[in-house]
Amino acid sequence: MTSEQVDLTAEQLRHLAEDFLAREAKLLDERRYDQWLEMIDDDVLYEVPIRAAKFDYDEETSAGAFRIRDDRYLLALRVKRLATGQAWAEVAPSRTLRVVGSVIVERGELPDVINVESAVLLYRQRGHDELGDIIPVRRTDRLRITDTGLKLFRRHAVLATAILHTPNLGVFL
Amino acid sequence: MHRYQSPSPDDAAYIDAVVDRVEASLDESLLPVDIFNDDRIFAAEMQRIFTKNWVFMGHESEIPNKGDFVMRRIGVDRVILVRDSTGTIRVLNNHCRHRGTEICHEDSGNTSVFKCPYHGWAYKNDGDWAGAPLMKDAYGEKLDARDWGLLRAPKVETLFGFVFASLSEDVPPLREALGDAVWAFEAIFNLHEDGVEVLGPPEVFTVKADWKNGAENFAGDAYHVGTTHYSNTLDGFIPGLNNVAVAAHGYDFGNGNSFIGHSIHELIAPPFTLWGYPEEVRSQFQFDRLDDVQREMIENRPPTIGTIFPNLSYLRFPQPYKENEWPIPFTNIRVWQPVAPGVMELWTWEFEYTCAPQEYKDKAYLAGQYGFGSGGVFEQDDTVVWEGIAKAGKSSWAREAGMRLHLRQKRNGPDPEWQGPGRYYESILGEYLQEEFYRRWVKEMRSHKTTQPAEIRAAGIAAGGAETVGTTASTETALAAIAETEKKQGALA
Repeated sequence: MTSEQVDLTAEQLRHLAEDFLAREAKLLDERRYDQWLEMIDDDVLYEVPIRAAKFDYDEETSAGAFRIRDDRYLLALRVKRLATGQAWAEVAPSRTLRVVGSVIVERGELPDVINVESAVLLYRQRGHDELGDIIPVRRTDRLRITDTGLKLFRRHAVLATAILHTPNLGVFL
Repeated sequence: MHRYQSPSPDDAAYIDAVVDRVEASLDESLLPVDIFNDDRIFAAEMQRIFTKNWVFMGHESEIPNKGDFVMRRIGVDRVILVRDSTGTIRVLNNHCRHRGTEICHEDSGNTSVFKCPYHGWAYKNDGDWAGAPLMKDAYGEKLDARDWGLLRAPKVETLFGFVFASLSEDVPPLREALGDAVWAFEAIFNLHEDGVEVLGPPEVFTVKADWKNGAENFAGDAYHVGTTHYSNTLDGFIPGLNNVAVAAHGYDFGNGNSFIGHSIHELIAPPFTLWGYPEEVRSQFQFDRLDDVQREMIENRPPTIGTIFPNLSYLRFPQPYKENEWPIPFTNIRVWQPVAPGVMELWTWEFEYTCAPQEYKDKAYLAGQYGFGSGGVFEQDDTVVWEGIAKAGKSSWAREAGMRLHLRQKRNGPDPEWQGPGRYYESILGEYLQEEFYRRWVKEMRSHKTTQPAEIRAAGIAAGGAETVGTTASTETALAAIAETEKKQGALA
C-alpha cells in the first residue's frame, strides 16, 4: 500500500480501518501475538488511563494516571512473558471474544494517519468453570498507513469501569 | 454484593471456636484454610478489626487544599476523607443522618458543603449539620449541628503525611499503636524534610481473593518470588528472580507489622545501595534525619516490602522502566480492601520523594506501574495464585478434612547482634513474619472493643471532644452522656 489517506475516499478509509480492527481482534482472540505485534508501529504508545467517578466526563481521566502505559518494548515484553508459560494470570490463557463496534473513522492531521475510534466489549473467560468477565472499553486509535499495511501507533483505551472487575489486565485491550 | 451483618450470639460461639483453632494451629505452625472465605469470619473481621483499629485512609498530598476530598473505605463502608475549611483532616461517614442516603457521589473533588440528594439536608465539610430545606416549616428551629452531623471517625492522625483513622476511641495514639514500625517508616519516608507525595490517584481493581493473603504475602513472603514471578526472568526482563529469597531478610516490629529487606546491591550491582536511588535523588537525602542503625540498614538491606496490620502494605524496589535502562526504585503503597468473603479490592498508589526531579517521578511512576497494579507483570500473577486459596477456604472437602496450611519452614531465629528496635532475621525463610501477622489477627478477633452509638458520640464531642468520651460506653454511660449534654444545652439556652 503506497497511497496516503488524502488519495483515498472516506469509504476506502473506513473499509481499511474496520478491516484492521476486525483482524486485530481475531489475532488477539486466537492469541497470535507475534502476528499482532506486526500490526504495531515501532513508535507505539499504548495506554489505559485510570478512570474515576466524576461529574464532568473530561475530568474522569484527567489526572495523568495509568493502569498501563507501554511503548513497543514493554508491549513486546508482555507478549514474551505470556509465551513463557509461567505468567500464571494467563495459565491457562483466557478464552476471549472481542466485539468491536461504533467505529468512527476520520482523516488524521498527517497525510499518512487515520484516526479511528471504536467501542469494544471484551468477553474473557478465565480458569475452568468461572463465569466470564466483560471488559468494556472505548478506544481512540491512530493508524499509520505504511508500505506494509496499517500500523497502530497510538491507542488510548478508556475502560467503562472506575473499579476494574477483572482481576488483572493480562489481556490486551 | 455482600451484605454485612453483625455476628449473632450463635455466630459468636462459632467465631470463637474458629479463632481458638487458628491459635492452636499456629502453635503447631499450621493455619486452618477456612478463615479465607467464610461469611461469619468476614463479618467478625469487619466488626472486630476494621472498625476497631487504626486503618490507612490516604495521604495528605491527595487533599492538599481546604475542601479537598477523596472517597475511601473502612470495612465495607465508603467514607469521605476530607480536609475541612479549617484545614483539619476528617473521615466522615457517607450517609445522611435523615434517611441514610449516600451524600457524596464522586471519587474526589473540592467542596465546602455535602448535600444529600434525597431531601436536601446539608453538611459542612467538617461533618457538622448545616441546614435543611424549609427549615422553619419542617423543623421549627435549627437542629444541633453536632448531634445531627455526619458520623465521623473519632480518631484521625497522620504519620509522615499518611492518614490513618479509627472508628473506635479505644485505641492508643497512632505512633504508639504502630510501635517500633514507626522506626521503619522513618527510614523509608523521612529522608527529606519535605517527605513524599502521591503521584496520582489510586488504581482500584477487584480480586477474588481474601484480603489477608495480600497482607500476609507482603508481611514476609519472599519465598514465592522465584516461582510466582519467574516469567519475568524467563522473558529477560529481570535476571535472577529465582534467587531473590536468598538475599532477603526479615524485620519484625511486633503486632503483625513487619518488613522484608533486600540486599539489592548484592542482587543487582554494588551501586544499588539505598534501594538503588540514582545520584539525582540520593544527593537530596538528609541522612542526619536518621539514626546510625537506620542509615546502615537502608544502605545495605533496606526494607523493600512490608505490611502494617491490618491491610496496608508498602513496596519500594528498583525496576527498569524502559529498554536498556538501569532499574530505578519506585514506591508503591497498597491497601488490601475487604469487600466480601474471599473478595477484595486492591488499591494501589505510587509515591515519590517530593524533592526528586519531576523527570525522575515520571520514570518511577512508569516503573512501578509496569510491575504492579492491574496491568503489572508481577501483580497479575500474585492475584491469581491467591484466588485458589479463597476457593479452598470454601471447599466442603477441605473443611470436612480440617485442611490446615503449612507454615513450617526451618527457622534460624533472629540476629542477636541487631541494634535496632524489633527483631532482625538474616534469613526471610521460616514464615515467622506470616505467623506474627496471624497472631495479631487472633488477638484482634478476640477483642470486643466498642464503636459508640452516633448520639453518644455526638454528645461526647459536644461535651468537650472525642478524647474525653469513655472507651467502653455501656448503655448507662451513654444515657448519662446524653443527659449531661442536654443539661448543658439547657443551661446555655
